Parts: sequence; structure tokens; C-alpha cells
Amino acid sequence: MSVTFETLAPGYRIEGPSFDVSRESIRAFCEASLDFNPLHLDDDYMKGSFGKTNFGGIIMHGMNNFGLITRMLTDWAYPSNAIHRRLETRWVKPVKPGDTIRPHGVLKSKLATEKSRWVVIDVEVRNQSDEVVATGEALVEFPHRATSA
Amino acid sequence: MQAQAFETDFWKDAASRKIWDDIVPGEPRETIPYTLTLEAIQKYCRSVGETHPLYFDEAYARASPYGGIIAPPSIHILLMFSCTPANDWMRSPGTVNAGQAWSYNLPARPGDTITLQARALDKFIKKERLFVIHDNVFFNQHGEVICSGRGWTIRPI
Repeated sequence: MSVTFETLAPGYRIEGPSFDVSRESIRAFCEASLDFNPLHLDDDYMKGSFGKTNFGGIIMHGMNNFGLITRMLTDWAYPSNAIHRRLETRWVKPVKPGDTIRPHGVLKSKLATEKSRWVVIDVEVRNQSDEVVATGEALVEFPHRATSA
Repeated sequence: MQAQAFETDFWKDAASRKIWDDIVPGEPRETIPYTLTLEAIQKYCRSVGETHPLYFDEAYARASPYGGIIAPPSIHILLMFSCTPANDWMRSPGTVNAGQAWSYNLPARPGDTITLQARALDKFIKKERLFVIHDNVFFNQHGEVICSGRGWTIRPI
């Protein structure tokens, strides 16, 4: 569904896709991202502590959240010829096999600059217990004319 | 080809990697050019459930404003590891990613030869944890910026 810059308003909500996290999905992300950090692979290693933190088992890549938020934003932007321009995220809580995560966004503000038009979107990823696992902010451009860049 | 030669055992080169004490903010990291393939793009897409035809359907993508298949913006997740050597400190086992911020200029495309300019930008101690901020810019073979970004990592002690 396409939207226009003119009709968008603060509070507009974007729903992202649900994603089931499993040992297999984490392994697939290792293979696809080439990030084979043992945090995501090695159960024995993850029995240990990292400074003050003990995760108690392997955890999903934080960047898997990032990829999922990106998917939500681009799937929303492409039909409107809008362009995903920026994403800033922080990981709040580890995600583990068995969790189901889902991103959403809420439009925070919009602004027209000299040459283009922009919307700022608060993003969040929550798990199956409605706990926030990642937070962030995105910027999507609505050019006056559709471009490929 | 790069993926086949990629060292997946992150312990193997652990001793040769810089630890927090060695990392000099501002010093460029060694990087290697990487040719992005359609297969690598689509493998990444599948790992996060991306199904958009801009990434999979050449006819659809050719007729779109993009003029051909592109990679999703978040492909830098793969590029970070494909453009750095096995002794890069980003691979140190136990490196915890605390968050990242990326800006997107142009999409990466299959066949692009991607280069990376990267450095540690800052390092500090907070709540007895060792932080390093990394700073990265990816370019295509035309010298155009694809994307740029920063990340906050907590280093293993």
C-alpha cells in the first residue's frame, strides 16, 4: 500500500513482519552475514560470563534485528517511491532461540528541506512477551520525484 | 569465491587480533575489496525473510526505478565481514554489538566490487566495560558511497 508525504502524520504506525528465532535461523544468519562469532554458535562458550554479563546460552545477532527493521522499512517505502535513508538501533535485551520477534514503527515527525521531504520514525522490536529487545530511529526520504537513489 | 575462502573459525586468528588496549582510534583498519554476487545477496535476504522482488525478480527490478536487481540496504551486515581480513578485531570472540547507525546513499548491486574505509573512531570505558566505536564507509567500483555507518562494540576482557 502506498502512502504520500502530505497525508502522513505523527502517530502513523507501521507493522513489521513476525520472525521466529531458532538455532537454525541464527546459523543461517551466520552463514549469510559471515559473522561466526561464538556468541551465536557455541553453547559451551556461552556458559561463561562476559564481564558482568551472562547470557546463559547462544544469542541471536543484534544485526538480525537490524535486518528485520530494514525489511519493514523498505517494504513500506518502496511502493510509495520513498527511500530508506538511515537507521540507528540499540540492542536492549538479548534474543534467544525459541523467541518470536516483531518490529514496528511509529512516525515521530516530518520535515521538508530545501530539496526533499523526510519522515522520522521511532522503531522498536518486541519479543513474544511484549518485551522491547531493540529500539531505534529511522529516516525515510519522500523525494519530490521518484529517483533510483 | 570469497565466501568459500572465508575463515569461519573466529578462534583461529584470535591471538593476532588487536585487543582494546592496542586499538588506536583514528588508525585505518586493513580492508579487502569484495565482489558482491547475486547469490550472496539472496542468501542474506533469505536469512532475514526478505522476499521483495527488487532482490529476486530481474524483470520486475528492471522495470522499477532501480533499473535492475539491488541488495537491501542492510547488506552492509555481510559487507562488514566480507571486506575485512581474518585478523580484524571485529571478529574477536565475545565482541558484543551494542548498536549501530547507518546512512544509505546508493543501493549495492550484484557484480559490484565493494571497498571499505574503516577505523576505530573512539574508545572508552563505561560501567567497567570496554567500548570501541567503529566508523565505516562502503564504496562501489565507481567510487560512489553506498552507505556509511558507526557501531558501538563492547570488547571482550
